[in-house]
Amino acid sequence: MDLIAQTLADGLVLGGIYALAAVGFSLIFGVLHVINLSHGILVLLGAYLALIFSEALHIDPLLCIPAVMAVLFCIGYAYQRFLIQHAVDRASVNSMLLTFGVALMLQNVMIWLFSPDMKNITPSYAFNSFKIGPVNFDAVRVSALIASLVLLSLLAAFLRYSAMGRVIRATAQQTMAARLCGVNVRHVYALTFAVSAAFAGAAGIVIGIILPFSPNDEGTWTLNAFVVVVLGGVGSPAGALIGGLLLGLVSTLTAQYIGPAFPNVTMFLLLVLLLLVRPHGLLGNAFAPSR
Amino acid sequence: MRRREVLTAGLGAVAFAAPAIRRANAQTLKPLVIGGSVPLTGAAAETGLNVNNGYVTAATYINEVLGGVEIAGDKYKIELKLFDDASDPARATTLLQRQIDEGTNFFLGSFGSNIVLPTAAITERAKKPMVQTGGGSDAIFTRGYKYVFGMYPRATRQFTSGAALFKSLQPTPATYSLIYNNDAFSKTAAEGVKISCDGQGFKRLDQFELPAKVTDVSSVLASVRAKTPDMLICVVHDQDSLLIARQMVATNTNVKLLFQGLGPQLGSYREALGKYAEAILCSNYWNEDVPYKDKFFGNSKKFAEYYRTKYTRPIAYHVAGAAACIETYIMAMQAAKSLKPEAVREALAAADFETFYARIKFSPEGDGDPIALGSMIGQVQKGKLETVFPDAAKSAPPIYPAPTWDKKGA
Repeated sequence: MDLIAQTLADGLVLGGIYALAAVGFSLIFGVLHVINLSHGILVLLGAYLALIFSEALHIDPLLCIPAVMAVLFCIGYAYQRFLIQHAVDRASVNSMLLTFGVALMLQNVMIWLFSPDMKNITPSYAFNSFKIGPVNFDAVRVSALIASLVLLSLLAAFLRYSAMGRVIRATAQQTMAARLCGVNVRHVYALTFAVSAAFAGAAGIVIGIILPFSPNDEGTWTLNAFVVVVLGGVGSPAGALIGGLLLGLVSTLTAQYIGPAFPNVTMFLLLVLLLLVRPHGLLGNAFAPSR
Repeated sequence: MRRREVLTAGLGAVAFAAPAIRRANAQTLKPLVIGGSVPLTGAAAETGLNVNNGYVTAATYINEVLGGVEIAGDKYKIELKLFDDASDPARATTLLQRQIDEGTNFFLGSFGSNIVLPTAAITERAKKPMVQTGGGSDAIFTRGYKYVFGMYPRATRQFTSGAALFKSLQPTPATYSLIYNNDAFSKTAAEGVKISCDGQGFKRLDQFELPAKVTDVSSVLASVRAKTPDMLICVVHDQDSLLIARQMVATNTNVKLLFQGLGPQLGSYREALGKYAEAILCSNYWNEDVPYKDKFFGNSKKFAEYYRTKYTRPIAYHVAGAAACIETYIMAMQAAKSLKPEAVREALAAADFETFYARIKFSPEGDGDPIALGSMIGQVQKGKLETVFPDAAKSAPPIYPAPTWDKKGA
């Protein structure tokens, strides 16, 4: 019984982190219809920036979240406005090729800048833990989970209540109508990408404090984001959260009760099943109803 | 700083191929071309960079400091033709085939059994020797290849010294659990651990196969805590070693002995774990204090000193192993008094000579002799990696049983 409780707790903690890592990917896919294959690079960029900031300023890496998000916001805006938009204008499939190429290129730039060596962000509480009943919690993972949930809530509130959030949703639901109402769609697309990049950067910090990382890891986080989005549904923080939690639970339960080598097997089995039964994910496309 | 290291390493390989960079006296030297590929980018880049730096350091020293090498009465300058294979076996095989087509006769290995194995198949077919420090999988040495030589024993023979150390500890541990990745090298290394540890009479409680990419080991550690073996042996990649150790600390998963094949050798690993790294054991094939001598660098300390004049990247045993590959080639060529691939192959097979790295001796199948080229065992003690086994190379006695994480953190 204790083992089940521990496994479920571990799965939920891991799932919350997966959710944050995927929400940017989900938003871009939902609003821009772009599969951003450079998502993992943005996640890693966040981790490296947090490492630099936290070492330079001697502060907790989670306190670097605003600064890292600001940098990634700017990079994301410029990336979409000046590169991806041009590719999309020619043919929508170009965006996939472009983001894949950018990912390969930036991975090598990262190796050049940061070396291929593994890096690690070690906050002061990296080795602390606490117990609730029989369940043991790793302090750093719980901190990462709390940061994830706070950020996901903020993003949900931004999309739901802010003027810009409404514009983003309106553009995603009825692009033509938004354009007729005077919305600068290209600007909205770039802003959406910028927000997504900022959240990818924040996810990088959260991942960086729980896992060692190197430029070679970018593919893992793009793939995880893809799976989370397919499981949970496109475009909303709630979908990412559901998908992330499901992925985390499936991973830990499989590792515990089938074997630690099998989480990927069950993850992709679930992916295939869901694509057959519910192709738009558990929560569906957040922007689909009025399309 | 980092940029310079990577740039220097990358350009270093290319620079050797560039005839523009020559010393004045090098004009009279014949070129001794040694080809190959190394992973400077991609999954294996971290260690690939070390291997590359080792090759380049040895070649630079021999050319610039020693003024070349004499083989069968002629003086030669080593010309490395190393290319980045991006950790991709397909790319590596293409690069090597092209070099064979262009007439290269001698090859150095890439890093990673998944790359060394297919490239060795190509050099074998062309009857060109390959000396390598990056592939230990049994598959490389059990296919009847005659032209590939490795600086380590094959994976299933690499844990002989580890098991011997465990047997010598007091009180003698009785049980162990094993963690490994689902990839060619880790799985074969795990087989080696099982053969050696079971052979020494240790009881195996569990074995856990992790996926190639690991993000969480909490469930594995829950199982470890449930049975609490005396020893936990991890033959995983360095990133996974760090993850396992960190989660062990955070979940207070204590064992009397934690062995991690890769990881504790790296300064970044020890720095990340801080005082919690104390008493963790690892394999170590070389350190600056090994007692071997040679006619090139003199000894390991001098090799390390020269390396540091060229690179700021911390030295690792792969650097020394790679440099020893070049020394091995030269000594074999001198022994053969020939640069014919077949003759050099015969000399390599008969090799029994000392380099600053180790005594070089290969098994009949081409992998390193398990005694001469077998692993030493290192242990982190006060932040430094000490050699605790074998006795001949010991720099400190082993700490056993290891303090619990609570005591380490106090």
